[in-house]
Amino acid sequence: MKNYIQLFLIICFTALLLFASMALPYRGDVDNQMNQETSITGTEVPGNYYVQEAYHDAHTNNMVTVVLGDYRSIDTLGEQIVIFTAGMICFLLLRKHREDE
Amino acid sequence: MIDFVLGHYAYWFTIILLAIGLYGMLIKDNLVKKIIGLSIFQTGVILFFVSVASKWDATVPVKSEAFPITEVSNYMNPLPHTLMLTAIVVGVATLGVAFALLITIYNRYETLNEQELLEKIQ
Repeated sequence: MKNYIQLFLIICFTALLLFASMALPYRGDVDNQMNQETSITGTEVPGNYYVQEAYHDAHTNNMVTVVLGDYRSIDTLGEQIVIFTAGMICFLLLRKHREDE
Repeated sequence: MIDFVLGHYAYWFTIILLAIGLYGMLIKDNLVKKIIGLSIFQTGVILFFVSVASKWDATVPVKSEAFPITEVSNYMNPLPHTLMLTAIVVGVATLGVAFALLITIYNRYETLNEQELLEKIQ
């Protein structure tokens, strides 16, 4: 009985997502709003700036690297704190067990 | 009609992946299988963002001499790629924590089945 409710939930979820995906723009279409150089309100989108000025600002060919390491370096630092915390949690969890034995 | 399918099939595959992940998380009893479902769900979300970021006749966001950077439509938007890189790394970290927790649970209760685990906890 419990499984049927969960299956029903999964089917509802899938149907909802399929219904929502009908309204999405075609994949990769250059005329999409998300591939435009200006947003709906007329301001320039950040991706536009990154493509044009990344090499100028950081002298690195790879724009993803520039965004990750230069423009969002504080965010990347926070991400590394997350990794460090995860490593510490793994260490503590696995170490505590050995003490129990 | 054929244009509609060609423009949307990537989203549908992603949705199938999300449904498989949700199935694994909700219905499977084995905790390892639940985590596999979680991982599949996560991959589905990442694939969705990457497929949304694609652009026809555009190259990867690495500056090359063949494509002038003054023309933005030559390059894909680097922002979704960067954010998904972050999401992948954090996902792997949480996966590691989940497996460490599973090891601890197995050492203490000698089972990874959810129903047996609930009985043993009570």
